[in-house]
Amino acid sequence: MRRVAVIGVGVTPFGKHDRSSGELFAEAAAEALADADLSPGAVQALYYGNVVGGEAERQLHMGPQAASILGIPWVPTTRFETACATSHAAFRHAVMEVASGVSDVVLVGGAERVLNLPTDEATEYFAYASDATFEQPAGLTFPGVFALIARALMAKDGTTEEQMAHVAVKNHRHGALNPKAQFRKEITLEEVLASPKIADPLKLYDCCPFTDGGAAVVVVTEELARRSRRPVWVLASAAASDSMCLHDKKDLTRALATERAAQSAYRQAGLASEDVDVVELHDCFTIAEILATEGLGFFEPGAGGIAAEKGWTTLGGKLPVNPSGGLKAKGHPIGATGAAQIAEIVTQLRGEAGLRQVEGARVGLVHTLGGNTATVLVSLFGLE
Amino acid sequence: MITLQTFFEEARAGRLTGIRCQRCAELAIPPKEFCPSCHQRAWELVPLAGHGTISSFTVIRVPPRGRAPEAPYAVAVVRLAEGVSLLGRIVDIPVDELRIGLPVKFRPLVNEDQTVVGFGPA
Ligand SMILES: [Zn+2]
Repeated sequence: MRRVAVIGVGVTPFGKHDRSSGELFAEAAAEALADADLSPGAVQALYYGNVVGGEAERQLHMGPQAASILGIPWVPTTRFETACATSHAAFRHAVMEVASGVSDVVLVGGAERVLNLPTDEATEYFAYASDATFEQPAGLTFPGVFALIARALMAKDGTTEEQMAHVAVKNHRHGALNPKAQFRKEITLEEVLASPKIADPLKLYDCCPFTDGGAAVVVVTEELARRSRRPVWVLASAAASDSMCLHDKKDLTRALATERAAQSAYRQAGLASEDVDVVELHDCFTIAEILATEGLGFFEPGAGGIAAEKGWTTLGGKLPVNPSGGLKAKGHPIGATGAAQIAEIVTQLRGEAGLRQVEGARVGLVHTLGGNTATVLVSLFGLE
Repeated sequence: MITLQTFFEEARAGRLTGIRCQRCAELAIPPKEFCPSCHQRAWELVPLAGHGTISSFTVIRVPPRGRAPEAPYAVAVVRLAEGVSLLGRIVDIPVDELRIGLPVKFRPLVNEDQTVVGFGPA
């Protein structure tokens, strides 16, 4: 297999936009191509991610739609959907297309537009990513999925609501440093704990927002990367799954797909969790960050909450997690999230992250989780 | 084999059905073609009595479209006595009395042509 690098990244501001998801992707893609110093004509394939466009925008067949808006209607396209892990799954396949020698330049990313919908309608569409047989008919929502996991974890190892609140406070503090974040405002522990309950024990500030936005990444061969100014190498890209229904999971308190994907990624790269300098991970809910830091091997089971409380995961801490503000503060346009996380790690490794820069970062990890923890992607990036 | 349709037709009549692997004894909620533990395709139907205890629960306060009149409502993962888990809606138990380990009993929640798994007081 050939070595693969990222040479261009682009992200729209996250928040409310009065444009279609295809337009949002095109803006991000134009930024990524400019960053890569490539003409749109150089793109040989588009791997595109979107989740609820069929419901929210009445648009299927979104690959050619996005390519047409971007102005490259001739490229082969494939649309990906793995719930919130969508564009990270697209990225893994783009890496495989370049690594295998099929293409030299692949554009990958995604976009989502949902803030034009009422909250209850968006809540319904997001719930489609949970099981339609048992979970949706029972009225389970996505905050509800993670609330069930949170309650089980609290009972098992003493993880507390305060520890979860520390994750929100930290990610808002980071988001305040990110010009493209949806929320650029710090919040206090007291505000998190006093915020309205959404799905007990999760409160409003434990939850990421609904977000419009797009993100794109340019994936190329080693030969092209050597000619580029600031390539960031893809050291590994791994995927893993777990049972779809919560009631089929053997242990609600373990992120099995995260553990499997992480082990696979570390093995591919010949690295261990101790080698990672900076992390963007899937904090759709504060409990998800705690569980992910354990599943990725950064902290022992049960210690993820302690790490948040002690500030180990803050900028300046021993392992900065979500310097972008994470899904919590940067925002979570679900089809764009994976590509946006990759864009942040590429920016960090290039040393271009400004006020939120993790000094001296040489190895970065991206973790993206889909739906009810059934899909996980983990990729590793490095400067060599 | 049991299909989703038959599982819910039986559930509507108050009968829960699990599947047990005759090779490795894995007990599961249908539908599953192969046993995820031993990869055999040798299921037998097992009646589930519907008694269990709550292993986790949440109270949904911001519901999906169309469910506002029902909110707040509780959803739980219940560990059934036979050793398999099943997710369902909690009914007739005040939300402030819910706790992990609380005994509950299955009951079908029937709404026109839809049957939903429910759990009420044991
Ligand atoms: Zn078996």
